[in-house]
Amino acid sequence: MESIRALLPRLTLRQLVVLSGIGVVLGAGGIATAAVLIFLGARGGTLRPAPEQPIAFDHARHAGELGIPCEFCHRGVETQAAATIPSLEQCMFCHAVVGKENPEVQLLAAHWEEGRAVDWVRVHRLPDHVRFVHEAHILAGLECSTCHGEVPTMKVVKQVENLNMGMCMACHREMSASLDCATCHK
Amino acid sequence: MNSQHEMAARAAQKFGAATIPSDDPDLDQEGRRWGMVVDADLCTGCQACVVACQSENNLALNEEQRVLEGRAKAWIRIERYWEGEFPNAKARYLPVMCQHCGNAPCEPVCPVWATYRNPEGLNVQVYNRCIGTRFCANGCPYSVRYFNWWNPEWPDPMNDMLNPDVTVRTKGIIEKCTFCVQRIQRAKRDAVQQGVELADGDVSPACVQSCPTNALVFGDLNDENSKVSQLAESERSFTLLENFGTDPSVVYLSKVDPFAEPHEEEGH
Repeated sequence: MESIRALLPRLTLRQLVVLSGIGVVLGAGGIATAAVLIFLGARGGTLRPAPEQPIAFDHARHAGELGIPCEFCHRGVETQAAATIPSLEQCMFCHAVVGKENPEVQLLAAHWEEGRAVDWVRVHRLPDHVRFVHEAHILAGLECSTCHGEVPTMKVVKQVENLNMGMCMACHREMSASLDCATCHK
Repeated sequence: MNSQHEMAARAAQKFGAATIPSDDPDLDQEGRRWGMVVDADLCTGCQACVVACQSENNLALNEEQRVLEGRAKAWIRIERYWEGEFPNAKARYLPVMCQHCGNAPCEPVCPVWATYRNPEGLNVQVYNRCIGTRFCANGCPYSVRYFNWWNPEWPDPMNDMLNPDVTVRTKGIIEKCTFCVQRIQRAKRDAVQQGVELADGDVSPACVQSCPTNALVFGDLNDENSKVSQLAESERSFTLLENFGTDPSVVYLSKVDPFAEPHEEEGH
């Protein structure tokens, strides 16, 4: 016992108090950080809430109840990088006739008559240094829901996956897709 | 193998051969190796490639002050040499871009692996990984790596005309010629979409596309039938700073002087 004691540093009471004070502060910080992380985890991660759209477009109605396939409106998905938001004209193919009593459709028609586009708020956004190409993923046989979740059940579309690099890499490893940086980073 | 190459190989062994990717025979033999041939005889020094590169790759405008400070950026630049004495002086032009070396001095010095040689022979710079130590720029004997001393700015309306396929590099990171990797990826996707193999000439970087005299040719150096590999076989071919053993993917063809004495036509 004496020999172990000889190895430990000799502290004055004052030093002991200062050190234990630092220890308490660090410990409290750690507990607070853990609490915040657990709170965020319980709330569904750090994903943003669904943004408010200028027109309350209902995906559950269109893609769910009516069973319109995703690529009917998002037409770029099989041919280009961006899946694309349909043009107002494409909405009006149907809504010139369908659902004219709905106030949201009337709002859409007002945009159409005034000749101005709808300022949809983007829900999924990747950083500028990422080159994500929808076409390649759809041609590889991936489902839209892999990244976007069950949109046909969503009244308001919300981001459900964090879409970070770890998620991309895990899937690329599993599917034996390219792991070269230059494939996805620009 | 010349003595310099042996020296480089020995140095590589001493300091860790794994960091010299071209020592891996699989990498250069299998698959593609993108490369370029620059015919100095056809180059007129018109700078079309420089402008094309600038707009394709979202390079900010080089103001006079930046040039004077030596901090201007141009992924491809025309180096001008004077040959002979006045009045018989001749201007010689050499477009110099990243040489995409097989044995790149910039790669092993990066502490965060932001630059590496990819399986298709490109020397890739991963911008989001770069922390801006500038070791690579110091290591590059061709001075083709550029540091972002400022966040880039464009006068209105040029800031709305950026290429969406190329990221805008922020302050504090290194950037360089990518052989227009975004065009390579696009060409590969188009080939998949049409269910065909990528053919020679399907990919052309902005500089190659804009060259009015076709002095620049781009393609796969590992493909025997490609135009680049055939041009690279020419007796006029040479690479820049050959004795450094960097094994560049850019091959130059020397100038042909029609007025030279017959015995001077050989070599370069």
